[in-house]
Amino acid sequence: MNSLDLNKNSHEIRKLMLESLRPKESHHIGCSFSIVDILTYLYFKELKVDPKNPKSKNRDIFLLSKGHAGLALYATLCQKGFFPQELMKTYDQDGFHMPEHASTMVPGIELSTGSLGHALPVGIGFATSFKNDNKKNRIFVLLSDGELDEGSNWEGFMFAGHHHLDNLTVIIDKNGLQGYAETKKVLDLSPLKKKIESFGWEVKKCDGHDFGSLKTVFKQRQSLNKPRMIIAKTIKGKGVPYFEGRFDSHYKSVDEKTKQEILNKFIKL
Amino acid sequence: MRTAIIDGVYEIMKKNKNSYFLTGDLGYNTLEKIEKDFGNRFINIGVAEQNMIGIASGLALTGKKVFCYSIIPFLTMRCFEQIRNDICYHDLDVTLLGSGSGLTYGILGSTHFALEDLAILRPLPNMTIFSPADEIDAQLGVRASKNFHHPLYIRIDLREKAKIHKQPYDFKFGKGVVIQKGKDIAVFVNGTLIDEVIKATQIVKDQLKLTTTIVDIHTIKPIDKDAIINEAKDKKIVFIVEEHGKIGGLGSAVSEIVSEFCPETKVVRIGTEDKFIKIVGTRTFLRKQLGLDTKGIVKRILEFF
Repeated sequence: MNSLDLNKNSHEIRKLMLESLRPKESHHIGCSFSIVDILTYLYFKELKVDPKNPKSKNRDIFLLSKGHAGLALYATLCQKGFFPQELMKTYDQDGFHMPEHASTMVPGIELSTGSLGHALPVGIGFATSFKNDNKKNRIFVLLSDGELDEGSNWEGFMFAGHHHLDNLTVIIDKNGLQGYAETKKVLDLSPLKKKIESFGWEVKKCDGHDFGSLKTVFKQRQSLNKPRMIIAKTIKGKGVPYFEGRFDSHYKSVDEKTKQEILNKFIKL
Repeated sequence: MRTAIIDGVYEIMKKNKNSYFLTGDLGYNTLEKIEKDFGNRFINIGVAEQNMIGIASGLALTGKKVFCYSIIPFLTMRCFEQIRNDICYHDLDVTLLGSGSGLTYGILGSTHFALEDLAILRPLPNMTIFSPADEIDAQLGVRASKNFHHPLYIRIDLREKAKIHKQPYDFKFGKGVVIQKGKDIAVFVNGTLIDEVIKATQIVKDQLKLTTTIVDIHTIKPIDKDAIINEAKDKKIVFIVEEHGKIGGLGSAVSEIVSEFCPETKVVRIGTEDKFIKIVGTRTFLRKQLGLDTKGIVKRILEFF
C-alpha cells in the first residue's frame, strides 16, 4: 500500500468521523482528528491484525490510552473492515454500544479506556506475557502528550526500560494542546526525548501526518533490549480547517449546518 | 494466615504454568519460595501499585491468572481506578492479596490500617471480596480461587494462632458459615474478630441466659443474603461486628439486607467510627480502645437488654 492509498484511507476515516458527529452533543474532535494519520499508518501498514479474525492469537495489540479519541479508532477499525459502516451510525446513540470513549464493546478494540494513564501499564502486561512466552506479538500504545502528566505512565516507563521490553512501542500524539491550555504551559514535557531515553528507551521523532515520515521511523529496526517511543508531532483537528490547531476543538459540538458545510467541502477534497 | 494463603497460591502456581505473581516490593521473608521456584512468573514491580494493577490486567488479557500482593491501602486505595477500570470492567482473572486486615499493623498507624477497603471495593461490579477468619477459611478460599476466573480480593490477617474451624468444610465463595446456633441474638462477623465475638456471646449467655447465633460472613461480596435473612428474620436484634469502619463494610452490607427483608429486626453495627485513629498502640490495645475486644462487644450488646 503506497502513500496514495494511505491518504485515501485517512480521508475516508475523517469522513466517517465527521458523519458520525451528533449535532446536539459535544465530542472530542480535535484530539481525534490529530491521530487519524497515525492510526491509518498503524492499521494499514504496520499492525498484524485480521479484521476477519479479531482475536487471532498471533495478532499485534494496539491500545488507545487517550480513550477520548475513540471516534478516530472506531472509524479506522470500520475502514479496515472490522465491522460494517452501519455500526458507525450507532456512535454515541441512545441505547447502543459505541460510546464516546473507546470500548471493548466495539469489535477490534482490545481495552476500554477513558481515564488517562491506564493503557501503558496494561500494554506492559501484554508485552511481558508475550516476551516470557517467546511469542512474536508486538504491542503498540498510543498516548497523548497531555496524558504524560499522569504518574502511572512514568511508573510504566521505568518498568519497561528496566525489563528491556523490546516488543513494546509507545506513540505520543504530540499536538501540544491539552484540556485547559498548551502542554508547555501546563507542565512542560521538554526535553521529552532525553527524559525517555534516560529511562532506557529508544526514542524517535516524526511528523504524525506525513506517511513517509511515519514509515521512516516505524521501519527502522527497533533496538534489541529497548522499548521504543515514537514522538509524533501532530496538529489538533488535523484535516479540517475549522478545527485545526484550535484549542476549543478538543471538546465541542458542531451544529447540523456547520457539519454539512464541513462535510460538503471535505467530500470534494 | 498469610503463610497459609501464600502456600495455597504456591500450589496453584506450581500446577498452573499460566499464572503470575506480582508484588509491589513487599513480602520479604514470605514470597521467596515463589520467587525462587517460578522464575519470570514472579515479578517485583517496584513500589508502583498503579503500574502493578495495569500489568496484572495486561497479563490477564493474554489469558494469565494473576496474583497481586501488597499492603491493603497501597493495593486497593492507591490504584483504585486501575482496579475499577482495568480489572473489574474487563472482568479479569486477577486476585488481590491484601496484607493487614483492619488494625493488623497496630503501631504502624493510620496509613497502614485497612478500615475503608471493604467500603470502596464493595460497589465494584464483578468484584468478589473474601475475608477469612482463620487458616482453614484462608486455605479453602485460596483453593477455591484456583477455578475462579474473576476479580477477587483476599483480605489477609497476620494472625497465626486461634482456629475457628476444626477442619475443612464445604466452602463456597458467597456462602456464610454458622459458627454457633442460638435463639435470641444473631451476630454477623468476618475476619479474626470472630474470636472476640465467640467469647463475648459466652459472657452474654452466662449473664443473661441469652443465646446467640454467630455467622461467619467470609465473603462480603457477593453476600449470603439467604443466611442473613434466615438468621435475622426471627430475632429482635442482630449485631454486625467488624474490624472496619461502620461506613460501607459488612455492617452496611447486612443492614441493607435486613432493612429490606426483615424490617422488624433491629440492626446494630459495631466497627470503627468515622474518624482517623490517632492514638498509638498495638492491635490488642487499639481493639480495646475502640470497643472491639471481648469486653467492648459485651458492653455494646448489653446496652440493648
